[in-house]
Amino acid sequence: MTTTLTAPVATRRRVLPRGFAHGGLLIVLVAIVVFASLRTDSFLSTNNILNVLRQVSVVAVIAAALTLLMTAGGMDFSMGGNVAVTTAVAAQMFAHGRSIWLTVLLSILLATVIGLVNGAVVTFTGVAPFVATLATATLLDGVALLVINGLSVSIDDQLSPLGIGKTFGLPNLLIVAIVVLAVTAFVMRYTTFGRDAFAIGGNEDVARLSGINVARDKLLLYGLAGALSGLAGIMLLARLGASSPGTGGLQLQLTAVAAVVIGGTSLAGGKGTVFGTVLGVLLLGVVANVLNLLQINSYYQQISVGAVLLIAAIANLLQRRRH
Amino acid sequence: MTAPAAEIRARGISKSFGGAVALRDVDVEFYPGEVHALMGMNGAGKSTLVRILSGAQNPDDGVLEIGGAAAGQMTARKARRLGIATVPQRRELVMTLTVAENIMLGDLPTRTSLVRWKAARRDARQALRDLGIDVDVDALAGDLTVAEQTMVEVAREVRRGGRVLILDEPTACLGAEAAAQIHALVRRLCESGVAVVFISHHIAEVLALADRITVLRDGRVVWAGLAKETDETDLVRSMVGRDVVSTRPPRISNKSGVGLRISDLADGRFIEDFTVEVRKGEVVAVLGPAGDAQSRLFDLLSGRRRPARGRLEVAGKGIPFGKVARSLAGGLRCVTGDRRRLGLIAELTVDENLMLAQDRLDRRRLHRRGRLARRAAPLRDDYRVVTLSPNPPVGLLSGGNQQKVLLAKWLGTAPVACLLEDPTNGVDIAAMADIHVLVDALAAGGVAVLLASSDADEVMRLADRVVVVRDGRTIAEYDIDRITRDELVAVALGGAIS
Repeated sequence: MTTTLTAPVATRRRVLPRGFAHGGLLIVLVAIVVFASLRTDSFLSTNNILNVLRQVSVVAVIAAALTLLMTAGGMDFSMGGNVAVTTAVAAQMFAHGRSIWLTVLLSILLATVIGLVNGAVVTFTGVAPFVATLATATLLDGVALLVINGLSVSIDDQLSPLGIGKTFGLPNLLIVAIVVLAVTAFVMRYTTFGRDAFAIGGNEDVARLSGINVARDKLLLYGLAGALSGLAGIMLLARLGASSPGTGGLQLQLTAVAAVVIGGTSLAGGKGTVFGTVLGVLLLGVVANVLNLLQINSYYQQISVGAVLLIAAIANLLQRRRH
Repeated sequence: MTAPAAEIRARGISKSFGGAVALRDVDVEFYPGEVHALMGMNGAGKSTLVRILSGAQNPDDGVLEIGGAAAGQMTARKARRLGIATVPQRRELVMTLTVAENIMLGDLPTRTSLVRWKAARRDARQALRDLGIDVDVDALAGDLTVAEQTMVEVAREVRRGGRVLILDEPTACLGAEAAAQIHALVRRLCESGVAVVFISHHIAEVLALADRITVLRDGRVVWAGLAKETDETDLVRSMVGRDVVSTRPPRISNKSGVGLRISDLADGRFIEDFTVEVRKGEVVAVLGPAGDAQSRLFDLLSGRRRPARGRLEVAGKGIPFGKVARSLAGGLRCVTGDRRRLGLIAELTVDENLMLAQDRLDRRRLHRRGRLARRAAPLRDDYRVVTLSPNPPVGLLSGGNQQKVLLAKWLGTAPVACLLEDPTNGVDIAAMADIHVLVDALAAGGVAVLLASSDADEVMRLADRVVVVRDGRTIAEYDIDRITRDELVAVALGGAIS
């Protein structure tokens, strides 16, 4: 006991740089960027790059919450639906002349409650997260259509400071996304709540027996997923300037899930990094943008997202098997 | 013994991984109708040898002759075709299918590609009967006891034409009665001419069962010969390379006050009116059937499950059932015998597992990696956890080291009372001695220790008192110096004490 402080802490550092686990992904991303800048003039233009970053910001916020949730062995398929409801409700509130702050606050609150309901169902009934949230996803998509009555509801320029505004040359949307990602990364690495997520995802029984309040943590995680869906909804509304049928929904959800999985977060829980998720989000965003610039039929874009996801999933597995 | 041709003859087998030598120049032969025990500590090379015999790996050097012919390059499929079957430590049955389906897996009798269920069940029943195994073919594999699952797996391998059966610790986690069933099965396998490779850490068991013993240490064969030519002391010395002294220390008898009191505990199924009192600094063993009742005791005390009735007190204070947090706050620590499922998180690192409980008890909010290592370092030292890399995922450690991490995780958290369930489950003899010393220290520190063990030697080594449980009820209680080891075994097997 007395010689404890002589333990060689310095040698306990990992030998490889942190990004190395995502080396394959980084190489693919760089390759696509190089390819794109050779084939098109416009890819590397400031405007285009800012545009890509603005577009991926919404997905990044959802993916951040999903990374934490999936690391804890959870899953929420209703985040896209939650986004749809949030944008619809916020758009209607604007249309009825409510103030910006009240609208934003109430929308995010609503989204949080939706997340907590998901969490309560998953935690207290034991229904598989996949099934429970797929059900709520369908339900929420319907609710969103109901709220805007199937019509596009414009908010004019009420959220344009967020949607197109910049600070120090960076889009405000991007800044919000970076803050969310940074906080999530900090939480996962340095806080008990984040470390508990790994423990719960690794083995829920052991986590509970070790004194972790698993039920509370899971509720919080789903609540957080809801809250960040709400934030993403406001961001999307700000960028588009209107809530229309099909805003958010399952398509957005699947892109976020794809980004997280490409980033190496395990569907079985216990493993995940925000850094990987950032790479996944960027990869999907860049691929979509490049296909756009090359004026390739938009149907191929969907095909490409599927193909990227499949390749990345296989690559992740191969890399894991090698260790 | 006449000398039939060896089923497997291995000559000069060597294998290394990276720089680490796992096997060097190993010669070993396995004969039909013989039980050949492989012994050695964790990391001695037993598993590597088994993987080579079963074709999962090829040796760097050396020759493998099977059935008298050089085998050449091996694959798992080729080994199986040549009649080499492995029954691994973790059961490989499909738990949601019936016994019959499991036995006939991959070989269901069909007619015009439709399954002939009648024939399948008949063949499965025949396979079980040939080995004298009494298990219902229509039962679900998941509903069987561990011993029954092992026997079903053996029957499947024999039916598939296994002539060499490698049994990897088939009696780990089994009570005396269940282990006896496995022993009987091994003897029947031998009589039918199968070559049995038997891996076990239990020396007494090996000496009673094996015809031939090969001891590995650091990848070399250090002793090989007939079981009747050796004894316990020699075997231990061969395995460890030195004498292992694990004797009871004199216990200071100032056992003051009750540390743990369980009264009238019942869960309506496995446990009825279980009552026990453990004073501070005392080790009380619960001897009874391992398995259901034992793990149920863990579930009830740890707060995983609520009993039908009963009362639990730690140091005089009542602890409500069914609440993990209250049980931990009251100073009760329950160390599971099933470290894979309920003890450790395989993906997390050694340090994180070590501090998993303590950091939560401390209500620590922030974590830094360097600090984590510093907090965990004293536990690593005290419990002699050995790792090759600085802080690997705990799932990569040997069984003995994992068990030490599990014990350190719980016993480093200032317990008032604790339940230890099979604390030396699947660990080698040196680690076992280490763990016994740790339990001694725990008791010496005034902790009330309730030991649930199915190993009579361990109970004799550690316990001050033994409580015998049968059909879930406490039926007798003995001071350890009033009972001999053999009497203890007899009691465990359900006999009466004179």
